[in-house]
Amino acid sequence: MASTSGSETTHPVVFSTQTPYPLPSQRFMIPTSWRRYQLSQLVNKALSLPKPVPFDFLVRGEILRTTLAEWCAEKGIGEEETLEIEYFESVMPPQKMSTIPHEDWVSSVSCQLSGYFLTASYDGHIRVFDYSQKLLHTASTHSAPIASLCLVPTPSTPSTHLIATASHDLTARLMSLTLSSDDTDAMRTETLASLHLHTAPVASVQANATGTHLLTASWDTLIGFWDTSIPGADEVPAEDGERKKRRRVEEDAPRARRKAPLAVLKSHTARVSKAVFAAGAGAQAYSCGIDSTVRVWDVENGVCTDTITASAKPFLDLAITPLGTSALAASTDRTVSQYDLRASSTSAVTPSTATLNHPAMPSCIALPPASSSGTGIVTSAHEHQLLTGAYDGIVRLWDLRSVKSAVASFKTFEEKSKMEKKILSVDWASGVVCVGGEGGVEVWRAGEGDRAFLS
Amino acid sequence: MAATELKKSRKRKVVEEDTPAAVSAFPHDVGLDMHSEDEGEDEGHAGSEDDGEVDDFPEIDTRSDSEDEEEDGSEDEEESASGSEDVEDEEEEESEVDTADDDLRIYPKPKTVISDITGQPKRVYPEIEADYDSDSSTEDLSNMNTPPWSQTPNRVGTIPMHWYDDLPHVGYDINGKKVLRPARGDELDKFLETIEDPNSWTTAFDKKAQMDKPLTAEELDIIRRLQENEIPDANYDPYEPTIEWFTGKGKEEVMPLSAAPEPKRRWVPSKWEKQKVMKIVRAIRQGRIVPNKPKATQPQFYPIWSEDTSTLHAPPPAPKPRLPTHAESYNPPEEYLPTEEERKKWEETEKEDRERDFLPQKYNALRLVPAYDQFIQERFGRQLDLYLAPRVQRVKLQINPDSLIPKLPSPQSLKPFPMYKSLQVPHEGHRVRTISVSPDGGWVVSGDEGGVVRLWEVMVGKEVKRWKFQGRVGAVEWCPRPDVSFFVVAIEEKLHFIIPPNLPTAVLTATQSLLSPATLPPQPATPSPVKWVSTAAAASTSDSPILTVNLPPSSGLPKQVVWHRKGDYLSTVSGEEGQGAVWIHQLSRRHSQAPFRKVKGSVQLVLFHPTKPYFFVATQRYVRMYNLAEQKLLKTLMPGIRWISSMDVHPSGDHLIVGGYDRKLCWFDLELSDKPYKILRYHSRALRSVHFHPTYPLFASSSDDGSIQIFHARVYNDLMTNPLIVPLKILRGHDVRDGLGVLQVRWCPRQPWLVSAGADGDVAVWCS
Repeated sequence: MASTSGSETTHPVVFSTQTPYPLPSQRFMIPTSWRRYQLSQLVNKALSLPKPVPFDFLVRGEILRTTLAEWCAEKGIGEEETLEIEYFESVMPPQKMSTIPHEDWVSSVSCQLSGYFLTASYDGHIRVFDYSQKLLHTASTHSAPIASLCLVPTPSTPSTHLIATASHDLTARLMSLTLSSDDTDAMRTETLASLHLHTAPVASVQANATGTHLLTASWDTLIGFWDTSIPGADEVPAEDGERKKRRRVEEDAPRARRKAPLAVLKSHTARVSKAVFAAGAGAQAYSCGIDSTVRVWDVENGVCTDTITASAKPFLDLAITPLGTSALAASTDRTVSQYDLRASSTSAVTPSTATLNHPAMPSCIALPPASSSGTGIVTSAHEHQLLTGAYDGIVRLWDLRSVKSAVASFKTFEEKSKMEKKILSVDWASGVVCVGGEGGVEVWRAGEGDRAFLS
Repeated sequence: MAATELKKSRKRKVVEEDTPAAVSAFPHDVGLDMHSEDEGEDEGHAGSEDDGEVDDFPEIDTRSDSEDEEEDGSEDEEESASGSEDVEDEEEEESEVDTADDDLRIYPKPKTVISDITGQPKRVYPEIEADYDSDSSTEDLSNMNTPPWSQTPNRVGTIPMHWYDDLPHVGYDINGKKVLRPARGDELDKFLETIEDPNSWTTAFDKKAQMDKPLTAEELDIIRRLQENEIPDANYDPYEPTIEWFTGKGKEEVMPLSAAPEPKRRWVPSKWEKQKVMKIVRAIRQGRIVPNKPKATQPQFYPIWSEDTSTLHAPPPAPKPRLPTHAESYNPPEEYLPTEEERKKWEETEKEDRERDFLPQKYNALRLVPAYDQFIQERFGRQLDLYLAPRVQRVKLQINPDSLIPKLPSPQSLKPFPMYKSLQVPHEGHRVRTISVSPDGGWVVSGDEGGVVRLWEVMVGKEVKRWKFQGRVGAVEWCPRPDVSFFVVAIEEKLHFIIPPNLPTAVLTATQSLLSPATLPPQPATPSPVKWVSTAAAASTSDSPILTVNLPPSSGLPKQVVWHRKGDYLSTVSGEEGQGAVWIHQLSRRHSQAPFRKVKGSVQLVLFHPTKPYFFVATQRYVRMYNLAEQKLLKTLMPGIRWISSMDVHPSGDHLIVGGYDRKLCWFDLELSDKPYKILRYHSRALRSVHFHPTYPLFASSSDDGSIQIFHARVYNDLMTNPLIVPLKILRGHDVRDGLGVLQVRWCPRQPWLVSAGADGDVAVWCS
């Protein structure tokens, strides 16, 4: 290979990969003026793939965005040093699939239920759409705006699912959603229980992976820990005023049971914006709040075991990476910070391991589902990726190995009006990105897109 | 005749026309014809005289100017009428005198003539002629060889002669005629005189007589005596024998002159003298006074050459001149030639600031190099160097502009503060006049001029409820109490109390019972023009106000609602610009009162002190601070603003900021002075709103220029340290509509977030 270089300067390189497209491990002399495109062509030609697969290249853990020469000059790497370059299939540019307009703002979306989109809106309604953007069902569940919605994974029958919603009316609710693919009239929702603990709007509700427990985070600094079993009778006595009202509203429907929490997690000093379970069935939970802390909870005992304190970063959203090693938190100072959960927080202010800078306030984070895709392949590229939605209406795809700029981004809710429409919720499952916000819901395809749709 | 002429020329005397007085000195020898207007033809007369007399022709003033001649000629003409008559008279008189007795002294006869000047008759005496025959006492006999007429003393009087030093005459005679200065020889004449005349060294110039006079023997003797330090008067004998008048034999005084007895002091030794002497004696004995103390001897000579000079540094050698470089060459390489920009820059900089005092220039040959055009300046500069004078007089002060900027901490170290606009909530088509953030920091109410009040989340910007009122919304304000939750909307002559939706039951019932109590408190004795109307708690919803306070009719739109910290009192300022009506409403007693019977000036704003029962009232120009408990005026603050637009008090209560329509923002330290501690003029248009952050050391000001400025304002607890005010950030993003910019700013409690309402109908949230 060195003979091909001619007058051009070359650099010794060893390729490695975890994709099913390995190259023989030998030293290549690569011209330093090459970029990603040439390298990708090289791999494709060397493997003589029938259909060209674009690759991205990681040099010492960083995605190569410039020429090799520039990268070496920046890092101060000599010409003689052998570079180890890892490559993986690059992310295809996201493609817009469909737009589902809503009358009101959509505060939360979920596409975890394969084949369906669940949206929760500020008008207090839950809507169910299928992939052909058809509105299958609308349920008025709350009299106040719904702030959050999540699908509780249940091993129950495939037609009936459990949904949890959190609302500004100080309650969260558990609902059953019965789906039938052919008949829209057969689709119905039933409110099973209302969770009564909070004295302020509930910001989020999240279920654990097995669907046995729920966490609610509220503005009143409390986190509620609940199980998903439906009690036979009211566990919380109803207030007088409320009962009268509710009776009028739900005369025909069987009244929801009033449920009390298993435990109340008290440690935050300001609003809690998100509370999530750790990956797996562990008894650990994480929460973030606008008091600039991320807290680690032992939910069984209801105690805060660890606190990550940031300085002046009111957090809006939190996500735990599938491996459970780091937490990603979006804050109002236009950053998404990554915190290493394994490091014990000894110092007063925990430094973030990575910071993703946004031009506007990031409001939501979505991670790719952990090994839930049908192919069963969790690529190395996949576990480093995340999606963030911001108030400027742009969803960005990031790779944690290269945090200087987003890998890909797409603008949602594009309209004539100059005002940017805010994104309030992003969900990402099996190649489908569902974006909810000010302008309704948009569905995009990203990641290993077509395979997910094909499966 | 020729000889005479020659002699005259040798003496270098110019003979000219004489004055009539001089001419009339020859009365005997010349006829009357002489007095005709002949122009100085003296030769004839001179020739008539003998030669010996001509030799000693008197020195007449050497006036060679023709002008003077003419003048004199005219004078002569003028006087010719009288003069000729005089002469005629004289002729007669003299003939008389000659005929009469010589010894007889008679005054000459006066003649009465009509004066030309006054027109009055006057007596004119003939001139006194000092000739040989006359008895003039001033006739000088000492110098007989001079002509007698020249011996005429000038009777100019005892005047300082220096008055006429630079004039041709030396004074005036009794007839008012000029006495001309006699001619004097020049230095050469003087020299010749000293050669020729053996007496000239004893001759002195007499100013009075205007001539040289030989000194007399007496005068020479006086000079000699003075030289020898003797008594000048020769007749004075200093060693005269004494004449005994009272002593000596037979001259003793026997009788006493007075009968007083002889005083005692004449024979008793003086006590005081003895004391004085004894004092000195004691001092000598004790050694305090040392007689014949030896004087401190000072060295007479100093051994300057034997001293070691090693401590003195040798003067440093003069710095060597810099060696010329390529740039100074007459034919420098191309790279040393200045480019156009460099040349322009060089020309623009001050002469003393230039790096080099020349521009490299290229000449192909040395003979083409022109003369050094700075030659004169260079020489002058070198001479200045020789004088040890600076070559350049520096008039420019060397002030580093950075040193004038006060030392302030960097804004990066003062985080957090609002940095960017995170979201904005539009109010379609109406100016948003007023906003308020709920005490928990989660909700904002904003009221616009179309009467719409919106309630929305701070973090999301989603409107959750809106209310529509008739007319403009003047003010909205949340109640600061934590246990209840409601806000006040002020519209024309009304205050509406509204409960937001989605409250927990406990808070809702507490709020309802506060605003619409089951049992109304007793009405006050004096009926108030303010009516409180509330709907029943059970029937109340969040859609309509639960309580309405009707302000007195025609009181106008309340432009400000301000709560007391405890949430029981609220104060409103209503009315148009002309007069403001201040009302203080008490929720628990459902009672309203006007705290001021009469208000000086129109009230713009009011404010409750956060900790003390004080009340700030801002009129157009002054801020008055009242003690509500004692009902008296505490102090009047003079911000020096022409029209106050906004005011806020620091949460500590010790500091007040006042904003004005004339772009100024004044910071008052209430403990310090009635005058502002600091006046900030950062905005380019009128200020609209100022607000202190409740917990963070921040304040914000908004202006009609569409910008919001964030300041760090740290207040120290000790009284000695001044507050630290640091400008942090200018937030731009609101549009200016109709000359109105950002109308109100409010901070979110507990977060460094700012909410701003603009005239462009947008409410923006600024996050850190």
